[in-house]
Amino acid sequence: MRMKLDRRTFLAGSSALAILPYIGFARAADRTNPIIALDADIGNLDPGNRVGTTEGNIIRSVCQTLVRFEPGKTSWTNDAAKEIKQISDTEFDFELNPGQMFTGGFGEMTADDVKYSFDRYINGDKSGKKLAYADDMEALKSVEVTGKYTGKLILKHPSAALWLIGICDASGAILSKKAVEQLGDKIATTLIGSGPMVLKEWRPKEQFVLAANPDYKGPYKAHFEEITGKIIPEHKTSFLSYQAKELDFTAFDADQLDTAKGLPDTKVIDIPGIDYTWIGINVEKGDLADIKVRQAIRWAIDVDAIIQGAYSGATSRAKTLLAPGLLGNWADAPLYTRDVAKAQALLAETGKTGLTFTFTCLNDATSLAVAQIAQANLAEVGITLTINAMDSGAYWALGADDASKDLELTLIPYTSKFDPSFQTQWFLASQIGLWNWQRWNSPEFDKLHQEGLETLDKAKREAIYINMQKLLDESASCIWITHGRNFFVDAAWLKPMFLPNGKDWQFEFFDKA
Amino acid sequence: MTRSQRTAAFIASRLASVVLTIAGATLLLFLMVRLVPGDFTSVMLGPRATPELRAQITHDMGLDRSMVEQLWLFASRAATGNFGEDVVSHRPILDIVLDVIPNTLALAFSALALALVVGIPIGVIAALKPGSWLDSGLALLSISFITTPTLVVSVILFLIFAIGLHWLPVAGAGNPGDIMDRLRHLILPSVALALGWVGYISRLVRAALLDTLAELHVRTLRAYGVSEYRIVGLYALKLALVPVVSILGIGLGDLIGSSVVVEIIFARSGIGSLIFNSIAQRNYPVVQACVVFIVAFYIVANLVVDMINALLDPRIAVGRG
Repeated sequence: MRMKLDRRTFLAGSSALAILPYIGFARAADRTNPIIALDADIGNLDPGNRVGTTEGNIIRSVCQTLVRFEPGKTSWTNDAAKEIKQISDTEFDFELNPGQMFTGGFGEMTADDVKYSFDRYINGDKSGKKLAYADDMEALKSVEVTGKYTGKLILKHPSAALWLIGICDASGAILSKKAVEQLGDKIATTLIGSGPMVLKEWRPKEQFVLAANPDYKGPYKAHFEEITGKIIPEHKTSFLSYQAKELDFTAFDADQLDTAKGLPDTKVIDIPGIDYTWIGINVEKGDLADIKVRQAIRWAIDVDAIIQGAYSGATSRAKTLLAPGLLGNWADAPLYTRDVAKAQALLAETGKTGLTFTFTCLNDATSLAVAQIAQANLAEVGITLTINAMDSGAYWALGADDASKDLELTLIPYTSKFDPSFQTQWFLASQIGLWNWQRWNSPEFDKLHQEGLETLDKAKREAIYINMQKLLDESASCIWITHGRNFFVDAAWLKPMFLPNGKDWQFEFFDKA
Repeated sequence: MTRSQRTAAFIASRLASVVLTIAGATLLLFLMVRLVPGDFTSVMLGPRATPELRAQITHDMGLDRSMVEQLWLFASRAATGNFGEDVVSHRPILDIVLDVIPNTLALAFSALALALVVGIPIGVIAALKPGSWLDSGLALLSISFITTPTLVVSVILFLIFAIGLHWLPVAGAGNPGDIMDRLRHLILPSVALALGWVGYISRLVRAALLDTLAELHVRTLRAYGVSEYRIVGLYALKLALVPVVSILGIGLGDLIGSSVVVEIIFARSGIGSLIFNSIAQRNYPVVQACVVFIVAFYIVANLVVDMINALLDPRIAVGRG
């Protein structure tokens, strides 16, 4: 076939090209179901082997848990469970609501499904492999089935953390035994639940669609027919995409705060974080073994300047491990405001001069800015800092094979959970050579950690965790930088919902404003 | 030996070199990725990566075997198109790669087409008026295109057409199943990727065309009174395009390489962003599979280019080109 290019064909072709950009723009204004951005794709939808918050958020909206977090809170109410009765500190009876149906024709949820789902954390998967999130259910000894809808949870020891980081969270998702056995390894990509939403579609690396589950029998019906999640790894790109009205909701970086505040029809959401970033000092390494050197470094580093310079002043500084709002937050923790004279005096007491250390950090812009400010601060007191920036692959490998023994100063960003025991576990002696990069060893801290795990009384737990933070403070092994902050923009018509850490999104409670 | 026998021998020797090159490149990259420090489990799970889990996942990925065993396993599986199973999602790695390849190919081919459609006319116009103001202006434009990094072009296009004018979308590859939406999402990344090659091709066409126009047979055509436009359009341009076609194979490889930057900026899924993320995660089996595909594609593209060249200029097929 010969194609003839005359004036008329050319004009028709040009016109088609010219209107191409405009096709589809009407949709942005007419949307009734939100399109949101997520910075990570789905990796593994098996609740016990999930790898990130994206899967956690999807699992919580698609699956039922015995009890579900209330909208925006860490308190919980019954979901799959009709009733949960505490028999003792280590024994709980539960009764399921009848008629809760799994999607995909996998039948009604029974106590057998609860046992099967939780036993995987105790015994491993079908081939006995330990689940990645097994520690979330560490306190659970066994599940006994006493009837079609009834059963018992037996704990190894009293545990407040089990409910907060295990049973309420994605790890507590109740799976269909029949579905898991039938799907095998495919449960990593196929999520069968009985919750408020269903995973209608997943196009790897592109998007997923969550739809309201018409068969959901519980009290938390989804408000939107569909929520589309676009995978956009860079916050800067998703923020621009939001500005172009392609999205209705996205997280953004602190340095875009002023721009975000000026956007029309937009709400800016600012949620203080509960994560923690700190400079860890290896207490075993050379001159750093001298506590006075560590104290001098703590006085010399200007955390306020770091907050301004590296975080654009958009986050507040941390002064201890546990963030405000968490049980055990040490509100009266000392604030170390830079004091060069004190730092120099401490160094003089040690008699050490010409100190040189390596500062290890991730190679992102914020971490490098922190490193450079610390480098300048320490230079003023006569300490030379060499910056060793690593990509995430090499950096996180420091948690293996005792690689951390050679670290000196390290900028460490960790994520948190709502129970303080999750945060304190990384500072235990048993974590030396793994994730305790300070290599600080305190038998008293370890003892308190165990006590904290087994204590149910809130006031007693609070005192335990404050004491643990005091010990950390005395060690001068950690310079707390920030708990982070989470910024989001959302279209004025949309009301998103998060748990108080800003990381765990509750898709089932997303609603129209 | 007849001409068709010579062409068949030429194709056979090229195919043999294709197999050897794919094997060599894959072996090199197989060894290189293992020199990168870091392990997959720690990257994926952070502090949740207990020694037990690390050992388990290392075993699942086959990384606890000897290098020779790993290489043999990989090569023998790859030869049958089986790249194993992704340790996170348990999906076949082949499926993961095949999911993203169409996006990258669409991007690379549309960029290449754009580069040809715009670059060749610029080169021809410049060659027709050598030394003129127009030639100098087009030279400046072409060199500007070549020297401006794809990253910068992407960001500028992004800011003007997506954010400023709201004409084109910012991120992603468009709604699956909606071809018009897919096309709209392809425009900015293609232009960003093509611009440098517009410059290359226009300079190459200009130089080749000027050489051809100075040849004796062209002078003869002029002596017979054939118009300059007929000479260029019917005779000279065909010969001038031989070096352009030669460079297209390399061009496609380069476009696929550069697609990493564009795919990341425009948040498009594709083989570039898949490799980038897999390297960051130390997910070696996925990196290896992607590399095999890219190497194979690059070599096949060059093979096709050689064939086209042999058709355009038969001297190449008989080893005289």
